[in-house]
Amino acid sequence: MKGISGSSLYEVSNGAISAVVSDIKKSEFVPDKSVAIDYAGVIDSLYLHSALLPMRFGSIMESSEAIVEMLERNSDEIRKNLDKVAGRYEFGLKIFCDSAKLKATLAATIPEIAYHPDEGNKNSVYRDWVNRKLAEHRLEELLLAHVETVIKEITSYLDRLNSINKFKKMLTETTVVDAVFLIEKEKKGELIDSIKELQTHYPGLSFVLTGPWPSYSFVDVTIK
Amino acid sequence: MSDNKLLFNTGSLNELSEEIGKLSENDESKLKLSPDNADSGLAKLVLTLIELIRKLVEKQAMRRVDGGSLTDEEIERLGETLMKLELKMEELKKHFNLTDRDLNINLGPLGDLM
Repeated sequence: MKGISGSSLYEVSNGAISAVVSDIKKSEFVPDKSVAIDYAGVIDSLYLHSALLPMRFGSIMESSEAIVEMLERNSDEIRKNLDKVAGRYEFGLKIFCDSAKLKATLAATIPEIAYHPDEGNKNSVYRDWVNRKLAEHRLEELLLAHVETVIKEITSYLDRLNSINKFKKMLTETTVVDAVFLIEKEKKGELIDSIKELQTHYPGLSFVLTGPWPSYSFVDVTIK
Repeated sequence: MSDNKLLFNTGSLNELSEEIGKLSENDESKLKLSPDNADSGLAKLVLTLIELIRKLVEKQAMRRVDGGSLTDEEIERLGETLMKLELKMEELKKHFNLTDRDLNINLGPLGDLM
């Protein structure tokens, strides 16, 4: 296995914890796409075989001695994080929807929230404007509540798999959920089955499950 | 993405790549400031902030209307103010040749601003 730009990889260890590194001249380091792909390739090869904490892309230290000192200084946090990711893989779940279609479906369940233009001119133009905005606001709230319900159901499924989860909701108009899970390696099949089953409960949403990934989203170490 | 990383997908692959594209690069939603476009770049930045605040105010106002804590007279005044603000914003967007999409900056992993 080679490091970035074909460089050789080697280990720098402090006790049972090792950093996988390669030598590079700081002045020659250009953080471009190909280098980022090389970096991801190294992590992709290593995480399948050992508990791994991906360092931030482009982390450069002066010497092997500095790396050993860094491992020593941060050993408690590193160990804690290694324990968290050991034997687990990260999986990603994105849920997409056609928000206009979904809002229409949700609105149909509560017809009274719909906006009805004031055809008899009983209201002022300002009051009519407020009524329209209020209907939009209620629909947004309805969509948000629906997304919360979906997340709650996913969480209850994942709890059975002893998963560690992170959710982001309503990222864009179409991406209603962007989640990552840290799950024991051998539970991959159960996860896929659970997501497939969940999808049947929400035909208006598109579920996309990816993985396994190195635990990029669950490393919580602030290097001292 | 290699096939073995895609474990389950209910849509088509084209749809998926479109959606992921929206989450990552979106040139239109970026602020581009350079010596050549300082005026329009600054206008976009300022209008984005104004639009964000306007939408937050509008959202809060609708919460209060929905909560039933305002009188009819107060709702009327609120409607007049917010409607005029919306119209003024439309005028400004038109003047600087900007669309709603231009003002909705993509914040990368955090998603869209509005």
